[in-house]
Amino acid sequence: MSGQAGHIIVKNLTKIFARSDLNATLVALENLDMEILPTEFISIVGTSGCGKSTLLRIIAGLETATFGQVFCDGEAIRDTDPRRGLVFQEHSLFPWLSVRDNIAFGLRATGKYRSSVELVDRMISIVGLQEFANSYPHQLSGGMRQRVSLVRALIVSPNVLLLDEPLGALDSFTRMNMQDELLRLWNEHRNTMILITHDVDEAIYLSQRIYIMSPRPGRIACEIPLRISYPRNRSSSEFVNVRNMILRKLDFAKEEQEDYNL
Amino acid sequence: MSGKTVSIPAEATPAPKGALSQGRTPTPWELRQLESAPKSKSRASADRVICGLPIVMAALVIAQYKLAPNVGNAITTDTYTYFILFMAFLVSVKFIMSCFSKTSYEKLLAKAPLYTAGFLLFALYDYATLKSGILPLPYFPWPDRILNGIYEDRALLLDCIKNSLILLFSGYFAGVFAGLLTGLASGLSSRVRYWVMPLIQILGPIPSTTWLPIILIVASSLFGGSVFLIALGVWYPVTMTSMLGVLNIPKANFEAARTLGAGKTRLVFKVALPATMPHIFQGLTQGMSVACTALMVAEMMGVESGLGWYINWQRGWAEFAKMYGAVIVICVTFSIVNFLLSLVKRRVLRWQEVNWN
Repeated sequence: MSGQAGHIIVKNLTKIFARSDLNATLVALENLDMEILPTEFISIVGTSGCGKSTLLRIIAGLETATFGQVFCDGEAIRDTDPRRGLVFQEHSLFPWLSVRDNIAFGLRATGKYRSSVELVDRMISIVGLQEFANSYPHQLSGGMRQRVSLVRALIVSPNVLLLDEPLGALDSFTRMNMQDELLRLWNEHRNTMILITHDVDEAIYLSQRIYIMSPRPGRIACEIPLRISYPRNRSSSEFVNVRNMILRKLDFAKEEQEDYNL
Repeated sequence: MSGKTVSIPAEATPAPKGALSQGRTPTPWELRQLESAPKSKSRASADRVICGLPIVMAALVIAQYKLAPNVGNAITTDTYTYFILFMAFLVSVKFIMSCFSKTSYEKLLAKAPLYTAGFLLFALYDYATLKSGILPLPYFPWPDRILNGIYEDRALLLDCIKNSLILLFSGYFAGVFAGLLTGLASGLSSRVRYWVMPLIQILGPIPSTTWLPIILIVASSLFGGSVFLIALGVWYPVTMTSMLGVLNIPKANFEAARTLGAGKTRLVFKVALPATMPHIFQGLTQGMSVACTALMVAEMMGVESGLGWYINWQRGWAEFAKMYGAVIVICVTFSIVNFLLSLVKRRVLRWQEVNWN
């Protein structure tokens, strides 16, 4: 099912926001074009306020494009769809539901709960939270909460998983563990992954391709394909070279566009 | 690293008392003991005495009642004696339990001063009325008379409690239902809010009992009218709190649910409703006190049954002891109702990060 599904095309996308403080509008995204192939893992990197979250929310169907369109498997995106899962930065678990019920929410919402009750237990054990299945979110650590968010989105087997800085609020040890977890889940489910992050290392460690965005208005500054084989070594010379190059790009992201092949 | 060795005084590092060495973590009670400063001997025995104080106080209450001379030639019965003995018996059971269980000992120790004060109040009131006559009859009957009054009228009082509760809950649940309906709807939809808000702003500040004279004339049945009156009083706080609750739900909750495939109905009943529950329970608690007020007013003004009616009726006969008795019965009844409500609240809101103590 997820073999060839999960093909995202962004065409000439522009998003303008009304600003409530001034009687004015703000161009958040301008003429964005991108294509993400099925089963691809891509990252979008940029400074805060460059519109990367807005882009992700439009792909998820939570915001409407002002101009242009986004297609998922040839269909124009108009609303949210369980085939496009979204993992938020933090605080998006339902505080009134136990870990188990949070994870099962998507199955219940799509009417698949009865036929796949064991799947919930499997998902809980995949992220090692068997002991906490009946705990409530406020009783978990930040890392555990994000693991719950992750499998909660994955359980309905979405073709595309949108990750909005999912590890942004975690400490660096938990974060590195979670990155490996993400790669493992990606290998297992083979869905398209779109990761928003401001952590350059994270983007290089995880993705096959990186988009760098420049702010105000949000544009794609450049696109960097990565051909380093998994699992990646954070201190290898290739890794360090790419990182230096991206950091340089981020500083001068407004200037000339250029394709780098590594 | 200066190379100096610091010696640790032996008493500063006590060995774990079995709790950790046996491969288990300490219970919450043991933990408190481990981490709190050890009690001195005199403090510990003082605590024992405090636990026994309520029983001593109860004995004094009975001694005063039985031994001190009454004012005038007042007739007294043993109802009061039995009542105090029964209360003392309850405390004694707790005292005996506290000798065997450390948790019940701590609980009793925390409550013992309150219990003692309770018995002291009985003693003071008994002294002021029966023993000295500072507070004179007929306006201030002594406790024995009040208790006898309740006992004499027990069948009627039970019937009144039943009628009051039927009226209270009919109005309360009608009001809660209507309040949730308008509150959730106006929280979720700005179009509903547009029409409901002005209504709330105009009707809200008027105490629902204001409508009583009109209802007495218009309503075809007094019961129906009173239900409406109570419901109206409950409707307002429940509407307000549930609407504000929905408006304060973090957007991420709705968005997460939508990306997981939740439809409109699921968003209302599985996201908006549970997320608003903490707010709704504020409204339910406020609504209960409004409902109790409205109930009393309705029963005193029109309805010909129930506890409010009973008080008024006994006033007509100048039966002050029975009036006081009814006040006590009302107090106990409403306390039980509120206690049950708080039990429901704890159960429903068990997911909240709240220290219930």
